[in-house]
Amino acid sequence: MKLLVVEDDATTATYITRGLREEGHTVDMVSEGREGLILAASGSYDVLIVDRMLPEVDGLTLVKTLRGTGNTTPVLFLTAMGSVEDRISGLNAGGDDYLVKPFAFGELSARVAALSRRPQALEQETVLRAADLEMHLITRKVMRAGQVIDLLPREFALLEHLLRRKGRVQTRTMLLEAVWDISFDPMTNVVETHVSRLRAKVDKPFDRELIQTVRGAGYRIDG
Amino acid sequence: MKARLAQLWRSMPVRLALLLVLLFSTVSLLSLAASYAVTQNSFEAAIRADLEQDIAGFRAAPNAGAVALLVDAESRDTDPSRIVLSYISPNGRLFGNGAIARDDEGYHIVSLTQDRAEYDGAYLALTIPLYGGQLTVARSRAQIEALGTVFLNILLISLLPTVLIALSGGLYLARRSKRHVEVIGHTLDDLTDGDLAARVSVSPNWADDMIRIGNKVNQMAGAQEAQMQMVRQVSSDIAHDLKTPIQRVAVHLDDLARLVPPETEGGILLEKAQDEVTGIASVFQSLLQIASVESGSPKSHFQPVDLNQLCLTFSEVYEPAATASNHSLIAEVPPEPIKVKGDKNLLGQVIANLVENALRHTPEGSRISLSLKTQDEHAVIEVADNGAGIPEAEREKVLRRLYRLDASRNTPGNGLGLSLVEGVVKLHGGTLQLLDNAPGLKVRIVI
Repeated sequence: MKLLVVEDDATTATYITRGLREEGHTVDMVSEGREGLILAASGSYDVLIVDRMLPEVDGLTLVKTLRGTGNTTPVLFLTAMGSVEDRISGLNAGGDDYLVKPFAFGELSARVAALSRRPQALEQETVLRAADLEMHLITRKVMRAGQVIDLLPREFALLEHLLRRKGRVQTRTMLLEAVWDISFDPMTNVVETHVSRLRAKVDKPFDRELIQTVRGAGYRIDG
Repeated sequence: MKARLAQLWRSMPVRLALLLVLLFSTVSLLSLAASYAVTQNSFEAAIRADLEQDIAGFRAAPNAGAVALLVDAESRDTDPSRIVLSYISPNGRLFGNGAIARDDEGYHIVSLTQDRAEYDGAYLALTIPLYGGQLTVARSRAQIEALGTVFLNILLISLLPTVLIALSGGLYLARRSKRHVEVIGHTLDDLTDGDLAARVSVSPNWADDMIRIGNKVNQMAGAQEAQMQMVRQVSSDIAHDLKTPIQRVAVHLDDLARLVPPETEGGILLEKAQDEVTGIASVFQSLLQIASVESGSPKSHFQPVDLNQLCLTFSEVYEPAATASNHSLIAEVPPEPIKVKGDKNLLGQVIANLVENALRHTPEGSRISLSLKTQDEHAVIEVADNGAGIPEAEREKVLRRLYRLDASRNTPGNGLGLSLVEGVVKLHGGTLQLLDNAPGLKVRIVI
């Protein structure tokens, strides 16, 4: 993917850029809003990563201006502010997602991947597959290696979410938002406990683990 | 009623009005009484002068017989309700249109009311000895008597309306100033409750002193708000400005983690450092969130929140975590929908913080319940456990920022969870109570 990072703090910018390059992305980096706007307006990027506080033209103005020109490139805002209104104002300005500093690189990477327009499993698909696991969406039946697996509704939703985004990391907060529709900051490992229950049914009886833990980031199902 | 009267009596304008009415009435009464006395005296004097003249007329008669004749003749033309003449001749015969026999002589007041209708009321009589007999001329005092009625009427006509007008004016002013005082009182209440944006809406129709008080209150509130704003700004600036360096430290530690193998001594230290940085970041995040909640700005995007759904979701989210730590988590949510206007994410964070607190601070095997109900049109959320609870003396303190009970120093947490809960509950106009669940703690939120 081709990404643009607009971030004035050099340490953070270098860190993000290096990490994304290591993952195989092409990354351009600028430290100033005006320059960022000019580059972004070219429309050649898959995802923009924009700090909200920038010298001269700030992140909000940048994205608002960009959207005003009809550019719809997905935007991930980075911010040191983390209140609900900041989030709302960011999303209202045309941002697609929001990440509060300090963040782990894994979280950033997972969110960038989620924002990219890489086609995910199509909505109308009726069977999702990963290795020997099959999920029948109409009959709501899950089978692995010919055995039926009984799942509770929320476990089914969790597995469906991961299967639809096969090969992509989903962070804990992303899972909470997608499966439970709640956005909060849990102090305890609530997501881990749900995943481990799911694993006990989907992975434990079989010899290969499908649900992978990605250290410092989240979970992923490999195909 | 009695209470209202008592309250009315304590109102300053009513007191002033009553005092004025009292003063005015006293002065009016005194002056009326004085003029009554003066008028009565002059009337009395006039009657006396008339009587002297009457007597003088009879004295002109040469002897007792002539007096008797004169008295009889005069009596015939005289209305006894006005003048009564009586002469008792030396031989005891009675002449005149009324019989007044007196032992004493001179002026006296007589009442002739007995059998004869034409006599009316009180008379002023003058009795003198004349030619061996006794002559009495009595003139009716009806005029003087009437004077009383006249003065009473004057009193009623002049005083009553004054009293009524003064009293109702006083009452009106009292109610008006009571309203104005109430406006100021409400503003002060709001300010006390932490709504520093509250101001007295001073109307130009108010009394000058009220306007002055109102403006002073507004000035004070403005100064207080500006100071609070500054303190908030400074603390959120500090938190904000420190987040970028924290991010940098996190980045450097991440970079370091690539160089140091995880299971070595260095790797273990590194992991500890990373955990600390995460902790610091979460404290800053919480402080910023509390600052934002206390500023009241999330109110601008309040929406109806389905509390049933919220409680069920959170009990479901925490159920495996509770089971894993050997706690039982039970949700008691009624079938009928309970909704409040608010911020779903903040209310969710409140439930999460309370449930996490309960999970963290109660021993294995404890029972935690999350319940929702309505009480007097209010939504009530309760998170209760049967753990050790919080000693009563400590309950206020745990709401303080960064405060931790001695017993829980070694459990994870930053001491900001309940502060945020309190802030969010206040933001929603609700109340937060920490109660004894005997045994355990029951946190009750009423919105």
